[in-house]
Amino acid sequence: MRSLFLVFITLLSTALYSQENTTLSGYLTDGTSGESLIGAKIYIPSIKKGAVTNTYGFYSLSVPAGKYTIEFRATGLPTEVKEIDLTKDVRLDIEMGSNLQNIEEVVVKGTAEDNTKSTKIGQIELDIDEIKTLPAFMGEVDVVKTIQLLPGVSSAAEGGQGFYVRGGGPDQNLVLLDEAVVYNAAHLFGFFSVFNADAVKSVNLIKGGMPANFGGRMSSVLEVNMNEGNNKSFHVKGGIGAISSRITVEGPIKKDKGSFVVSARRTYLDVIMKAAIPDDSPFAGSSYFFYDLNLKMNYKLGDKDKIFLSGYYGKDEFTFGNQEDDFQVTMPWGNGIAALRWNHLFSNKLFMNVTGTFTDYLFSFGSQQDEFQFELKSGIRDFGGKVDFTYFPNNRHKIKWGLDYINHTFTPTSVSASQEDVVFDTGLAQQLFSHETAAYVLDEFDVNENIRINAGLRYSTFAHVGPFTRYIKGDISTQDSTIQYSKGDILKFYQGLEPRVSLRWLLPDKSSIKAGYSYNYQYVHLTSLSAVSLPTDIWFPTTDIAQPQKGWQGSIGYFRNFAKNKYETSVELYYKGMNNLIEYKEGALPSDNVNDNTDNLLTFGRGWSYGAEFFVKRVFGKVTGWVGYTWSKTERKFEDLNNGEVFPAKYDRRHDLSIVVSYKPTKRWVFSTSFIYATGNTLTLPSSWYVQNQDLLFHYGQRNSTRMAPYHRLDLSATWYSKAYKEKVDPVTGETIQVKKRFKSNWAFSIYNVYNRANPYFLYVDNDGDFLQGDFEIKVKQVTLFPIIPSVTWNFEL
Amino acid sequence: MKNTITYLVLFVGILIGISSCTKEVTIDIPGYEEMLVIDGRIETNQPPFVLLSTSKEVYAPTDLNSFLNGFISGATVTVSDGTTTVVLDEICSDNLPPGSEPTVAALLGVPESELANYHICGYTTFNTAIWGQVGKTYDLTVEYDGQTYTASTTIVQPTYLNSVFWKPDEGYTDRGYSWANLTDQAGQFDAYKWEVKRIATDTSGNPVDNNFTPTFSPVIDDEFFDGLTFDFYYENPFAQGPEVPDDELFYFMYGDTVVIKFSKMDKNVYEYMEKKYTQLATAGNPFATPTNIPSNIEGGALGVWAGYSPTFDTLICVP
Repeated sequence: MRSLFLVFITLLSTALYSQENTTLSGYLTDGTSGESLIGAKIYIPSIKKGAVTNTYGFYSLSVPAGKYTIEFRATGLPTEVKEIDLTKDVRLDIEMGSNLQNIEEVVVKGTAEDNTKSTKIGQIELDIDEIKTLPAFMGEVDVVKTIQLLPGVSSAAEGGQGFYVRGGGPDQNLVLLDEAVVYNAAHLFGFFSVFNADAVKSVNLIKGGMPANFGGRMSSVLEVNMNEGNNKSFHVKGGIGAISSRITVEGPIKKDKGSFVVSARRTYLDVIMKAAIPDDSPFAGSSYFFYDLNLKMNYKLGDKDKIFLSGYYGKDEFTFGNQEDDFQVTMPWGNGIAALRWNHLFSNKLFMNVTGTFTDYLFSFGSQQDEFQFELKSGIRDFGGKVDFTYFPNNRHKIKWGLDYINHTFTPTSVSASQEDVVFDTGLAQQLFSHETAAYVLDEFDVNENIRINAGLRYSTFAHVGPFTRYIKGDISTQDSTIQYSKGDILKFYQGLEPRVSLRWLLPDKSSIKAGYSYNYQYVHLTSLSAVSLPTDIWFPTTDIAQPQKGWQGSIGYFRNFAKNKYETSVELYYKGMNNLIEYKEGALPSDNVNDNTDNLLTFGRGWSYGAEFFVKRVFGKVTGWVGYTWSKTERKFEDLNNGEVFPAKYDRRHDLSIVVSYKPTKRWVFSTSFIYATGNTLTLPSSWYVQNQDLLFHYGQRNSTRMAPYHRLDLSATWYSKAYKEKVDPVTGETIQVKKRFKSNWAFSIYNVYNRANPYFLYVDNDGDFLQGDFEIKVKQVTLFPIIPSVTWNFEL
Repeated sequence: MKNTITYLVLFVGILIGISSCTKEVTIDIPGYEEMLVIDGRIETNQPPFVLLSTSKEVYAPTDLNSFLNGFISGATVTVSDGTTTVVLDEICSDNLPPGSEPTVAALLGVPESELANYHICGYTTFNTAIWGQVGKTYDLTVEYDGQTYTASTTIVQPTYLNSVFWKPDEGYTDRGYSWANLTDQAGQFDAYKWEVKRIATDTSGNPVDNNFTPTFSPVIDDEFFDGLTFDFYYENPFAQGPEVPDDELFYFMYGDTVVIKFSKMDKNVYEYMEKKYTQLATAGNPFATPTNIPSNIEGGALGVWAGYSPTFDTLICVP
């Protein structure tokens, strides 16, 4: 801890050393909606200095006193240019594009040159409006699926939400919704994301060189920020799709002071299923639906203070019944997330954000057959608090520091079972309590005009505390025993330092070299028994037995723009090492953790991944899009699995190619296509069979030694927009003018899997027939999930 | 309980099945190596019986001939209870000592009348000194092809069912499940297996069943009911297949008469059986983890050396 303090003091003193004369600071917002602008640029061409707004739209830029022409740029809005005579500190809040009246304004994408100039390595921001025009599965616009089209990111399986970043597992991604952690970001067994695109403002993915202000996960950060709501006027937007409908209402709480936005979405698969399953079918009563609600409010308490309240609540409910068998299963699961944030400006150079978060994830499974009843519950409840400071001492340094605390309660399984009046002993409801804390400091500074370094250090701790019951399993001759820990007992305390550094070196030919190194601790694990992700995958914390995951990643990349920044290109190489990865022991069953601790069923090992990522993006023009290609190799080694030999991870992909192209021939049409090719996933299939007591049994060979056929798929979409303007005669001048229409709508047509490729979802070995009859056969079968699926969605806005 | 987990796995499979399609593929499955399979058992008052075979590659031929030729002759198989050690005799189905036919037919699952048509060789003994006795531990040694394989199993104290009974299922008067009442021994590991044999004879006067048939998920341990007294039921394993009407599936009909074989086994045998029946129930399901069955045999063979202490009850299906 003392060394951390020293680093901080050193950074601070070098930062303060070069004091500048005046500071220009303020908030940038969208003039028509009042939404704060994230990642907007402030640039002074004469001295080649600039700044970027943070997540809350705040910027601060210190320069010598003088007269300047200052440019303000934001994606999708016209650039504002201001002449300012800076003699003292100036607070300048700008509502960008507020006098936008005419369609002829030239709107330039604000991302030009960022590709080469920022220190962000392995970091990609996605434009939500662009995502909405890409082909969508069943018409559901999905930010997570779009992320899976980027190099270095791959999907778990057909339609899956779980994503793998540079060989890391799906649990190694820190998914944040307005700074609150989302544990299970999927609906319907992973086919749909919990993020309703209408409620999303920005999406940012960090796949390498994670800055020190993020932690707790090893592979990546997916930051999703929700819309704040229009603080000028009321609006309604929504959509009607093939499987779900959405509606969003937004408006001012008090004009220019505060606003709210509420988004709701519900699927109607249950209605379709009800129609599809006849009343006299044994499966009548089986249904599925999900819904989610997003809410956000913000209020300006003055020039220096702003508060935000964000909430998400989503639930899936699956019911399965077989009347003949008198069998009924209900399976609800869902997330509840809330975040309360307070922004405060101590000065024009010191910005503070305080966040309180709450995350609740619950999965429950209940079944009833005749008089036998069974219920299983699993869940996580987190209370968190954090405080982050950003200090802008001068135009060469940006210093951040902060503290983070999370109180975790994990309930891996709680089981109850009864039959008539006999209650079965299913063990105690197992709960695990823990405290996770972190402190960090980082400085992003310019060594000279060409070299910028972002260096940081994070210190994290984790305490597994009581009450807790540790089961010690007996062998064949001894009884099981338990150790009881009471409230306040510390079973185990872990701590670690996580250094992070990334560097950008601008080369004379407008290209740059970037390199990054990060070391991460991860204190939560996802235990998965199956080959595909299910809500039955259980999140499990670090305990006295399950050690924290540790990983490091080194990456280096070359970035270059061509044709006046029309094309952005990059090549990145990475190597990632991971320790204390978890898997279930061979032969473990989910039911085994009754009267036992889940971690007693786990085994620990290590893994590594390395690869090269190639990316070419055309940023503007009638045709935009990108091509991403990744070559990678991902392996695992566990003492107790596969005889201790190295085996490929199940999502080890040698080749992964994505091509995304959008074409805008007119203002009212957008055509898009995406194509994916990926090496098939690995899986473990039986390599031999034998007979015991007249039953045919399988014996499995090397773990993940079978590779499925490659995955490839082409999707198409077309979006048709209604006229945005109508013609009107100006009563004063008598001229015909164009006026913005309040009601806008569009039709989005999508075709998923255009050439109907039968992609493998999983393979299994099937046997049929009878030896004695002579018709016995063993076959390997492949299951394919989705054929060609066309869909249409109607969206509106008023 | 285990059933419920299996159901969970199955119905998620059904959901996926709604929108999916399946086709046969040929794909490389590396890692095959031929292993010896030991399928041995010893029950109370029964001779030890051991079948030896080898594991086959997934794409190996599966016709009857290759199956029957898979049994191994010429091994030395020894069973010892600690004081008496007996080398088992190799016997073949087409050349059986008189009187052993019913036992061998049951062990092989081949009708007694058809035994002579096959040449299946196993290892057993008529030396009653080594026949199964409750409370004894039996060590098995198999020497074959220069390798030695060993295993050990105990015939544990049996637990008798308090009662077996039949009652019509809700909404019916003529069909229901087989029920029993059990008092589990408190404070010790107990594991049970439930098998059924019909007593009826077919039109030509032969019994319909030569051997006992396990039910679905036939093994269970007392983790959840240690020391409890309770009723439980099992379905009728014979009431399935295309010829059984949907509303008679898994039921015993009024008037059926069956013998229930309720066996106990030691922990290692239970673990083998539990994983075996889990594999049979979830084979091919992607949501189940690939499960290799943990053998109690040392030396690198597949299979099990299993001791059972069965008890028998006759159930006549009347209320």
